[in-house]
Amino acid sequence: MLEVRNLSVAYGGLRALTDVSLTVAEGQFVTVVGPNGAGKSTLFKAICGIVPPLQGSISFRGIDLRARAPSERAHLGIAHVPEGRQVFKTLTVRENLEMGAYTKTGRAQWRHTLERIHALFPILHERAYQLAGTLSGGEQQMVAVGRGLASAPKLLMLDEPSMGLAPAVADMIFERISQIHREDGVTILLVEQRVAEALELSDHGYVLETGHVVLDGPYETLLADDRVRRSYLGLTGA
Amino acid sequence: MTQKGGERQPVDLEVLIENVLNALAAGITIGCIYGLMCIGLGLIFGVMKIVNFAQGELLMLGMFTSLYLVTGGGVLAFLGPYVGPFVGAICAGPIMFAGGALLHKFLISRVSGLRTAGTLDEGHFGQLVITLGISLILQNGGLILFGSTPQTVRTPLASRAFEIGPIYGDATVFLNKARLVACAIAIIVAIALYLLMEYTRLGKALRAAADNPTAATYMGINVDRAYRIAFGIGSGITAIAGGLMATYLSFGPFVGFDYVIIMYSGVVLGGMGSILGAFWGGLTVGFVQQCSALVLPPQLQNAAIFVVFLLIIMLRPQGLFGRSAERA
Amino acid sequence: MRQGAGPRLRRDLIALAAIAAAYLAVSAFVSNSYYQLILTMVPIWAVFGVSWNILSGYGGQVSFGHASFFGIGAYTVTLALIYGDLTPWLGIPLGMLVAAVAAVLIGLPTFRLRGHYFALAMLAYPLAILYVLQYLGFQEMSLPMHRAHPVAYLAFTDPHWYTVTAIGLLIAGTLACMLVENSRFGLALLAIRQNELAAEAAGLNSRLWKMRALVVSGMIAAAAGGLYACVLLVVTPDSVFGMLVSAQAVVVTLFGGVATVWGPIIGAAILVPLAESLNATLGNYLPGIQGVVYGGAIVVIMLAAPEGLYWTIRDRWFRRALPPPAPLVAATPAPRPSAARSAGPLLEVAGLSRSFGGLRAVSEVSFSVAEGEILGIIGPNGAGKTTLFNVLNGVLAADAGSATLAGQSMLGRKVHQVCRMGVARTFQVVRSFPRLPLLDNVIVGAYGAGLPDHTAVDAAVGALARVGLYRQAGTLAGQLSNKQLRLMELARGLAGRPRLLLLDETLAGLGRDECDEVLDVLARLRDDGVTVVIIEHTMHAMMRIADRFLVLDHGRVLASGLPREVVENRSVIEAYLGKKWLARQNA
Repeated sequence: MLEVRNLSVAYGGLRALTDVSLTVAEGQFVTVVGPNGAGKSTLFKAICGIVPPLQGSISFRGIDLRARAPSERAHLGIAHVPEGRQVFKTLTVRENLEMGAYTKTGRAQWRHTLERIHALFPILHERAYQLAGTLSGGEQQMVAVGRGLASAPKLLMLDEPSMGLAPAVADMIFERISQIHREDGVTILLVEQRVAEALELSDHGYVLETGHVVLDGPYETLLADDRVRRSYLGLTGA
Repeated sequence: MTQKGGERQPVDLEVLIENVLNALAAGITIGCIYGLMCIGLGLIFGVMKIVNFAQGELLMLGMFTSLYLVTGGGVLAFLGPYVGPFVGAICAGPIMFAGGALLHKFLISRVSGLRTAGTLDEGHFGQLVITLGISLILQNGGLILFGSTPQTVRTPLASRAFEIGPIYGDATVFLNKARLVACAIAIIVAIALYLLMEYTRLGKALRAAADNPTAATYMGINVDRAYRIAFGIGSGITAIAGGLMATYLSFGPFVGFDYVIIMYSGVVLGGMGSILGAFWGGLTVGFVQQCSALVLPPQLQNAAIFVVFLLIIMLRPQGLFGRSAERA
Repeated sequence: MRQGAGPRLRRDLIALAAIAAAYLAVSAFVSNSYYQLILTMVPIWAVFGVSWNILSGYGGQVSFGHASFFGIGAYTVTLALIYGDLTPWLGIPLGMLVAAVAAVLIGLPTFRLRGHYFALAMLAYPLAILYVLQYLGFQEMSLPMHRAHPVAYLAFTDPHWYTVTAIGLLIAGTLACMLVENSRFGLALLAIRQNELAAEAAGLNSRLWKMRALVVSGMIAAAAGGLYACVLLVVTPDSVFGMLVSAQAVVVTLFGGVATVWGPIIGAAILVPLAESLNATLGNYLPGIQGVVYGGAIVVIMLAAPEGLYWTIRDRWFRRALPPPAPLVAATPAPRPSAARSAGPLLEVAGLSRSFGGLRAVSEVSFSVAEGEILGIIGPNGAGKTTLFNVLNGVLAADAGSATLAGQSMLGRKVHQVCRMGVARTFQVVRSFPRLPLLDNVIVGAYGAGLPDHTAVDAAVGALARVGLYRQAGTLAGQLSNKQLRLMELARGLAGRPRLLLLDETLAGLGRDECDEVLDVLARLRDDGVTVVIIEHTMHAMMRIADRFLVLDHGRVLASGLPREVVENRSVIEAYLGKKWLARQNA
């Protein structure tokens, strides 16, 4: 469904990604993990079109994304849950979700999707008319994920949903994401720092370090590989 | 009460009461029109955080648009002097919507929006300067096109008034009919805009784009287009207010400048980011201005507004009604 | 004076003299009085632009209300002449004095504002004055003629002399600007414009510098206004306090080039004759043509060449070869600070807390750093590391707790005061002055520490030597690589001879080799006895350089100690890799 080939990106004058390739097949749950500064967010932003690639290609269902404006991706069926949640602080929870459903597909299935979101995150129903900026971090993350779902997407992309959240809350978020994958059959691309949680849920994982893919494979292989830990804690290389 | 040859002379207290009540009435009616004017800037400056120095010129263009529509050989001249001026004011809205959108497309968008989001000053310097340039062009261009003779969109309603009273002795409140109609229209348009921004998909998308352009892009909203529409609406609204003011003011191409500071005072006072706040802010400023006429001579009234403006931005820049979206 | 100022000043002075001479020669041949008037007005508006340039061009504090000072100058001269029979030769200096006082009065409340609010507020002052004057009845006022001794009263029968006087004023104003530009005043203003926070962190008291700039700016503007009154012989409130007057200062400088002495001159030389001649020829059909020209000029310039004609032309066509590094033989690298270690720790932090609303960004953080140690602060994203620095540095206030440097409290002070205590800080985003040589970029740090000119140069050169950039001292900062920019930041901090360095992600985005180079520099600094606290994500680098680690997570201290130990620490592994990972490893 999503194919990234030989992607190289420079961001803020620095080489953030070099020759990165990954594939997400329909119905899969793919994770990209790696320590801070590895380029995970840059990868996310490049797929979203916020950051232009130097080289390489990104295609979604055969459509070359490089030729499309960033705001078109949602209409193609890609939903983004960005790093740091990025909720619309001055809009209510309900309005945030409505913005998620801005696309035609989103609007068509709005009733059904809204019910589903409320089933997954009951608190969003309770606080429907509260300003999103006044919610806690975990609640905002739920809004962000709900917003992503609201467009009834084919591919849901999440960038570090656990960041800044207490472990228990992060676990809950991961559970929901897993639920969404299993029950609604949404294809998922998750970029995360929390290795085990992320890898466990996924079918396939990629490990990024300083802009390169250093490891990839099905999750059991990765979990057993000590190189992951060494990569995170700086014990690789010199 | 003195009696002189059968005529009753008004007592000082009655005069005072009459003046005060009329000032209050004028304050509210004109305040509502100022409120509408401030909503226009509130949308552009308060919501989109674009500093637009040329907002006064948009007001001025609204006045002239209405003038040319309903007087002389204008298309709407057939409506006559009772209905025409007000319809003209309303029609100035869509026309200046287009004007504002064009301004944004070719000039403003180059110094705002995604292009400058995240820079140290959010593009404000560029916006300030470019809109200063636009303001100069529009003012002086207006001088060339329209001439310097003061104009008004004449309506007989401006010289008629409802009389309320006598209330206390001889004290009577005169409600100028033209201003009343203008005030009513201003309130209706303000409410209409509020409904648009709060409850329609377009309004929410505009607010989302202003709140967080990156996230809005993720949602599939074309942020550039959203800003353009918002800028257009802001221009149109202020233009309508201008058209309404044209019915009781005499104006020339440089009139806009007097109102820039008033608009900014109103928007800042009412709290940035809030349409409603901008209205209240404008209403308050207008109210203060009219009431200050009781004690201050005309030239000092504007100076007083400036002092008020300075006090507001120094003491309470968050305004009275700012939309608080931070965690308590 | 700044390094290299001598030759630059000489060159500029010669150019100025040549231009002035040529201009006066041309003016001598012009007999038409209207053209002569234009020739007089060009330098007057240029001087006005120079005044605006100092505050808003170099200093970056955009003001839309410089007409205040212009008008004060004009009215002081006029009123002094009418009521006190004071010759404008004295009236102009008097006007400058009044303007200086006004500048202080205006600046005190208004500098609390920033950005567009500042610009709008400055706008309000001349307009308020305008309305008050109109109310007081000062409409049109004519300057009385003195037929007996015209020259003593700055009134000339031959209009050429007005041009000469105006050129004289322009030379004086430009000289003042050159002096500013080539001294620490100019650098301080540029630093503040570039990034006020970083300037404060380098020790510059930005309020004070801005006020100085406003006073100088106001005085020059008043001089221009005073001469304007003498030339036109008529003042009205609108003609000297009006919006168009303020706008002209902005337009002329913006068009010609901000932050350069030549900008206002170029702008005035092009725009004033253009507008005036269009006005003269087309003014009857198109009465507002002047305003349209000025407005159009600003719009075009902002779109096409936002920094003004001067820079655009210079950047494009005069891309000079790198000037050879300034001869630095005289200045030797600073002697190494003696590694005298004090008994206790240099930096002691206890129970430091800071919250934002309900979010506890830094929570009960305690640690200490010995002199000459390198402490690495690590932790997952959002752990509060930068917030910690912000509190230590004075950018944010602490809610609770204490932080002392060699026993003195760091809290409750302004940013530049903390810097003066001996704390240097770098930021995640490096901002340089791309058009200035490396040495000038670095010397700001020395100015901030309060070092006098000569010592400042030594300190800057020494700092460059310590980071290994000695030979690039003359390179323009815009041509430096990423790694070199980081080292520049480091040098800027070192130039103030700090006791403590707070480095925020100095290694971000550097490749392996570049990382190693920077690490070597840090190691040398440690050997010199400099204490370093560094936030970093690049773990492998930190492993090599840090003496100790402090791990933060969710604002709290998770662990501290030797690097090898800390990375084996369970809770640290959990923070980075997650609880489940740990569980798996132990399963």
